[in-house]
Amino acid sequence: MLEVGYSVPRFDARSKVTGEEKYAADCFPEGFAWGGVKRAGIAHAKIVGIETAPARALAGVIAVLTHQDVPGTNRQGLVHKDQPVLAAEKVRHWGDPVALVIAESRETLARALSLIRVDLEPLPGVFDAEQALRPQAPLVHESGNLLLKGEIRAGKGEDALGECEIVVEETFEVPFQEHAFIETENGVAWQEADGTICMHVSSQAPFRDRFEIAHALGIDPLKIRVSSPYLGGGFGGKDGATVQCLLALAALNSGGRPVKMSWDREESFVAGYKRHPVRMYYRLGARPDGTLHGLHCRLYWDTGPYAHLGGEVMELGMEHAGGPYRIPNTEIEGWCVYTNNPISGAMRGFGVCQVSFAFERVMDLLAKKLGMDPLALRIKNGLRRGDKNCCGVTMVHSTGIVPCLEALGRHRLWTERDEWKRSAGPFKRRGTGIAAVLNAMGYGRGLPDSAIARVELTPEGKIRVFCGVVDMGQGNSNAFLQIAGEILCQDSSCVELVHPDTGRTHPSGSSSAGRTTYTYGNALIRACEELKAKLFHRTALFLMLDEPRGLALAPGAVRHLPTNREVPLAMLGKSFPESDRVCISEYVMPVAQDVPDTGKDFSIGFPHVLFSHAAHIACVEVDELTGKVTVEKYLAVTEGGRIINPQGFEQQVHGAVGQGIGYALMERLMMKDGRILNPDFTNYILPTSLDLPDLDSIAVETVEPTGPFGMKGIGEVGINAPLPAIASAIEDAVGAAVNRAPISAACVLHALSGRERANDADGGVQR
Amino acid sequence: MRNVFQPESLPELWRVFEAHPGASVCAGGTDLLVKMRSAMMNPESIACVDRIPDLRGITTEEGGMLRIGACATHGQIVSDPAVRRMFPILVRAVENLGSPPIRNMGTIGGNICTASPAGDTLPPLYALGAEIELRCKAAQRRMLLKDFISGPGKTCLRQGEILASVRLKPPEGYYNNIQHFEKVGQRNALACSIASLAALLQVASDGVVLKAALAWGSVAPVVMTCPDAEKELIGKPLTSETLRRAAAAARQCANPISDVRADRDYRLEVLGNLLMRLLEVAPESAPARDY
Repeated sequence: MLEVGYSVPRFDARSKVTGEEKYAADCFPEGFAWGGVKRAGIAHAKIVGIETAPARALAGVIAVLTHQDVPGTNRQGLVHKDQPVLAAEKVRHWGDPVALVIAESRETLARALSLIRVDLEPLPGVFDAEQALRPQAPLVHESGNLLLKGEIRAGKGEDALGECEIVVEETFEVPFQEHAFIETENGVAWQEADGTICMHVSSQAPFRDRFEIAHALGIDPLKIRVSSPYLGGGFGGKDGATVQCLLALAALNSGGRPVKMSWDREESFVAGYKRHPVRMYYRLGARPDGTLHGLHCRLYWDTGPYAHLGGEVMELGMEHAGGPYRIPNTEIEGWCVYTNNPISGAMRGFGVCQVSFAFERVMDLLAKKLGMDPLALRIKNGLRRGDKNCCGVTMVHSTGIVPCLEALGRHRLWTERDEWKRSAGPFKRRGTGIAAVLNAMGYGRGLPDSAIARVELTPEGKIRVFCGVVDMGQGNSNAFLQIAGEILCQDSSCVELVHPDTGRTHPSGSSSAGRTTYTYGNALIRACEELKAKLFHRTALFLMLDEPRGLALAPGAVRHLPTNREVPLAMLGKSFPESDRVCISEYVMPVAQDVPDTGKDFSIGFPHVLFSHAAHIACVEVDELTGKVTVEKYLAVTEGGRIINPQGFEQQVHGAVGQGIGYALMERLMMKDGRILNPDFTNYILPTSLDLPDLDSIAVETVEPTGPFGMKGIGEVGINAPLPAIASAIEDAVGAAVNRAPISAACVLHALSGRERANDADGGVQR
Repeated sequence: MRNVFQPESLPELWRVFEAHPGASVCAGGTDLLVKMRSAMMNPESIACVDRIPDLRGITTEEGGMLRIGACATHGQIVSDPAVRRMFPILVRAVENLGSPPIRNMGTIGGNICTASPAGDTLPPLYALGAEIELRCKAAQRRMLLKDFISGPGKTCLRQGEILASVRLKPPEGYYNNIQHFEKVGQRNALACSIASLAALLQVASDGVVLKAALAWGSVAPVVMTCPDAEKELIGKPLTSETLRRAAAAARQCANPISDVRADRDYRLEVLGNLLMRLLEVAPESAPARDY
């Protein structure tokens, strides 16, 4: 039976494990051709000419297209339309697409791409956000290198630091991070006889994709149909066009044949989106008793050559720059800057992951300076319902950071930390560190966070959920079936899912922002309740009841409890026309009602009002001979309201911590003049199962009254804490501050051996 | 199009070589396929040698020599009782090589012929003084492994010749014999070595080192041995002071590069530091082991 609150096995588990499940990458329609892209191979250059004739002349080549063949604006982008489908006047990063080839086979495609000669006049590049703001910096766009300057201010702003008896100050840097999903960017597109472009694509936002394609290619968005099956991972990297506009352009030029495009791993690295690197200048002030009083920070975000969601990522980061704490006076400044680096965009943690490192590190600094216990300092300043956050927005929804910290404080990893530290073996040092984090849910103001659920009783008597929001692996569709089964009392054999398809399902927003289960789930609950009422009403007709009372749903039937008579769902399903077997309902996420008079630079997103919270503790062992850091033990305490599926909850926590450990210790994109030197999994180091600790996970189950069955989204919050917790633990172990990520063994070793690192450019530890 | 041959015997293999002198040999393919995908190699023909009985199996020969067929997979080596009993140093190196699927495909012969300074089996084989057996149609010859590898990716293998087996003498004097291997990588699996150390010590009951054989991976163009460092240990008690002197000698001897995994300075520091771990496995802190 599908009960909410129980670890119902995932509906997709069997088909995914056996390989039956068909991802977009498994789609090979009859008669398809291959599409592929010629990329710049230089970070910044003027395009003088593109020689396509030899490629066109190659047997098996169907079309070679350049910017001259792009019919519309040739501009894609979610908020700022600044990214060409095919570069025209210049290339702005190594992976910029210059030409699109359609060919009969992959081999011919590769050969044709190698025959295209792009005549480029190199331009000086800029590869650092702060340097890009200097007056003489090379211009990535003629309009200048500043995409967006933002400011959030509360209370007296920066001036309040003058009133603080204690001020701590530090600079932090966080790196690129690759999404590293298993299924790389791919899809298939074709043109129907009526001119409609159909696309089956690995995308987090099929409904929005239509508009992005339409704008770039100058076609009617309603003549585009996009469908997305399960994704083999997304993490934000498929939120926004990857292959979509290129595929649609290919479909317009393939003579009606389907065109398949699938980036290989190296192309995914070079052309795909990344987490924004950020340099963060922090000053935090407090009163002698540890009460936080003022925060000033300046944040420089490297968005690469195109906006993607750079402004929105920065907005969310700035909104979280004060952490889960009560800070009455804040001044948070941010610059989102164009460079010739790879394109930065959405990624799990969406700006929050970056600032979490800075605010938790300055909290540690403050605790040290005050001589205060770091946990006590956090609990003392932790946001409680009714408090205003660092933007001046009142917390009116469930606010569980203090319960998370209290649960952490009761756990043996915290209470026994001194003993554990003392028992380090030869050549080992141990330390523990904690981090308290939060993550907003939903789009924030300016962009209604809505979903529309459709649920149908099929003629066979099954419950069919039409899901308009993608499941990229996080398990939201499983939660949807569980919700439908719970309300309509059906087991897993009687519920089925229709994947997002702009032709069959209703717009329900992107799979992102910790919103999918919350927003779509709320819409679905309403639709299922309506269907239930309808089924009762129709059953009353069958059973000649005076009124639809005394009825209950049972597996496969509606039962009249006083008489024990049943009407099978299959009978009900066959008795009414489709229009009468369907219920559609919608939901819009609540927004902040006390919008503060700040953050005016953000057209969408500011502010948010619903947050999930987490407190983590990392216990690390540092090897004195090699500098190697091993995360030995780890606890994640997560507050995300009530839990619909405990196993799904655990999977999200585990995945987020694993990805966060990679971000903290391993994942380093190595760049030279805008070129990625390690665009593969041999040298871009992701953690394996042998690199991850046994993980304890505790759920602090508050109730979020607006959430479906009281839940909130927790897919993102867990990635924000591992880096600060591990950095803090390393500092505890080696006695040197860690202000830059990823934290390499080489830097830890040099910190241990008491020597300054000659070249500290690759990140790590400062003494 | 590419020819792929799967000879079932050595005579069949020699016929393949005669017909296709440029054929690449594939033992497990874990290096060859990677090189082909990245277009570093594009052989016209491939001769898969893993079905040839003469190249397979792990056997003990007269005089106690252990013969490991060149096509023995890493997985077979780590689970072989004789290897586990006599050469824990090799087991330790191989059990962390790649990942389970790679260990099931990759072979010791392939690891040797790839001749990477980062090859995980090489430091223990150097320390053990491994001998290799080479075969071609007309002849058979033997030489020390350290004489076979001449540079990164370079060996003395002649055209038409293959590596048939690796031969190991049993380590002498089991009492207090220390067999130690440690690899430093960027993670705990699927990691290319940044530096590694294989150390074989004979330590007397009074703690004095009688014999020492040391070999390092990834710190020089080929696996590094260092008689100077060994001399610092022999005849001396195994103390941190002794080891520090040996470490200094080893750093003198090494010539590491900076690459995407680590820089030269880190490798120089760590290759010496790794010797200090011998204190942990020394008789004072660990009970005498009977291999």
